[in-house]
Amino acid sequence: MKTSLVTSAVLHALVLTWALVSLGSPADFEVADVEAMPVDMVPIEELTKLQQGDKEAPKAEIPSVTPTKRPDTVENAENVGENKVDIKTPPKPDAKPSNNESAAAPEKTEKALPTPDPVKEDSKEITEEKPASEPATEVASLPEPKQEVKPDPKPEEQPAEEKPAENPDAEALPDKVPTPVAKPKVEQPAQTAKTPDRKNEENKKEKKKASSQNESDFNADEVAALLNKTDPTNGGAKSGKTEKAFGASKTTGNTLSQNEMDALRGQIQKNWSSFAGIEGLDGMILKVSFELDPQGNIVGQPEVETTGGSEAARRTMIGSVRRAILKSLPFQGLPADKYDSWREMVVNFDPSSMSIQ
Amino acid sequence: MEQVGLAAATTDVTLWSLFMEAGFVVKLVMLGLIGASVWTWAIVVDKTLKYGKVRRQLDAFEQVFWSGQSLEELYRTLSDRQTSGMGAIFVSAMREWKKSFERGARSPIGLQMRIDRAMDVTLSRESEALEARLGSLATIGSAGPFVGLFGTVVGIMTSFQAIAGSKSTNLAVVAPGIAEALLATAIGLLAAIPAVIAYNKFSADAGKITSRMEGFADEFSAILSRQIDEKLQQPRQAAQ
Repeated sequence: MKTSLVTSAVLHALVLTWALVSLGSPADFEVADVEAMPVDMVPIEELTKLQQGDKEAPKAEIPSVTPTKRPDTVENAENVGENKVDIKTPPKPDAKPSNNESAAAPEKTEKALPTPDPVKEDSKEITEEKPASEPATEVASLPEPKQEVKPDPKPEEQPAEEKPAENPDAEALPDKVPTPVAKPKVEQPAQTAKTPDRKNEENKKEKKKASSQNESDFNADEVAALLNKTDPTNGGAKSGKTEKAFGASKTTGNTLSQNEMDALRGQIQKNWSSFAGIEGLDGMILKVSFELDPQGNIVGQPEVETTGGSEAARRTMIGSVRRAILKSLPFQGLPADKYDSWREMVVNFDPSSMSIQ
Repeated sequence: MEQVGLAAATTDVTLWSLFMEAGFVVKLVMLGLIGASVWTWAIVVDKTLKYGKVRRQLDAFEQVFWSGQSLEELYRTLSDRQTSGMGAIFVSAMREWKKSFERGARSPIGLQMRIDRAMDVTLSRESEALEARLGSLATIGSAGPFVGLFGTVVGIMTSFQAIAGSKSTNLAVVAPGIAEALLATAIGLLAAIPAVIAYNKFSADAGKITSRMEGFADEFSAILSRQIDEKLQQPRQAAQ
């Protein structure tokens, strides 16, 4: 045994010395001296985006729309122009130089002048109300302006088109009133005052009809148009901050980023209560479309389309999804400059996994 | 709390420096495993020599035994020497035979039993000698990897403590500690693998040799039993 032990020890000593000598330090890894290559993460959005600017202008670093003469700026305006209100119609070059407010406009805009309007409106209201309630003494006094007005419109209409800018105030008065229906009104109240009869009642009805006709002629939009001195040919209210530069007429492809979408999803998800235990959710998808105003509030009602799932579960889920959306209004954190991309929203709900796409 | 810091990232990663860098416990484990390896190989050398010798003796004895030589004569030559294997079995059986007949055997059945016992004892003593130290081979083979693993775990533990102390996760700092810890497992495997192989081989060899001796013992027992019967019949015939 001794001999074999010695033999073994010697053997080990030999092997170890050999290992220590020849198995020394393993060769170091060869690391090629390569220069680091910079890698930029470029969102595809960058490539598909069109920045608003001027189509004719030369290229510049930052696309910019034509700077306007108007000194004040309108917040979040999207359309180029000299207007104070952001209107979508593009600006048309004027034939004549105009002072903006009453510029070469169709008749209706001339009516827009402030002074005449209240009077007319008042008089209309009065004429409508009074015959119904009580007789004529007051009424008699009212028609005066109308009579004055009547003759005017015919002669004035033509000049209005031709020389709009000259004297808007004077012209404006007549236009509003000339409705022919108004005439009988003035006479009728006088009769009714004398002999209140059933006939009168009938008359009243007729009058009402007449007045309602009046009302239908009376167009709120027109009035609004009259009231606001904006010129549709002036375009929107956006003004370039720098020299105009090449770009599209509208910024497009400016979609919500993943983060913003996630944030929106989170807001809805938070208010979406789960419906554990409802059967028939498999494969159900609820497609909810709605429109938002710039403040993130909903316009109208969300429309829900469903596919898959059982009928009962669908009904439940439609209610649930509606509630979730209405509850999470107004949506926070939607970038105002991308309003175009989130004005109309389509959100897909998947109830089986409680996820929102 | 003791803060363990790495002195410096060692660029020297030879086996010797790995060993010297290792902690106390890991060093102890490595030395123990190297010792185990030396012991394993000592046994391997010893057994190889011994089994070879035993086989040669068996061959030689069988040749002599079946050569037709008188058993008495064989016994006389062998009883003077130090014998092992079949020789020892033969001598023990013959001694018992001699003792019984010299004093005048009374019962043939008792004699047969005594001879068998004597041969069994010798046989077991011989096989015990053959299998001596095979147990330690088995132990090294099964426990070696675990001991090595223990060294590795301790080494990696200390090296992680050192990393925490040095507050650097640079691979150049981390690697040597882990390499030195892994060396313990490597040595453990280095000792265990030959031990397992040697154990399997030698226990099989020992089994073969033992069964060969058992075969001889049975044969010899049969021969002796025939002899006893013949010897017992002779006095009866003589008496008739």
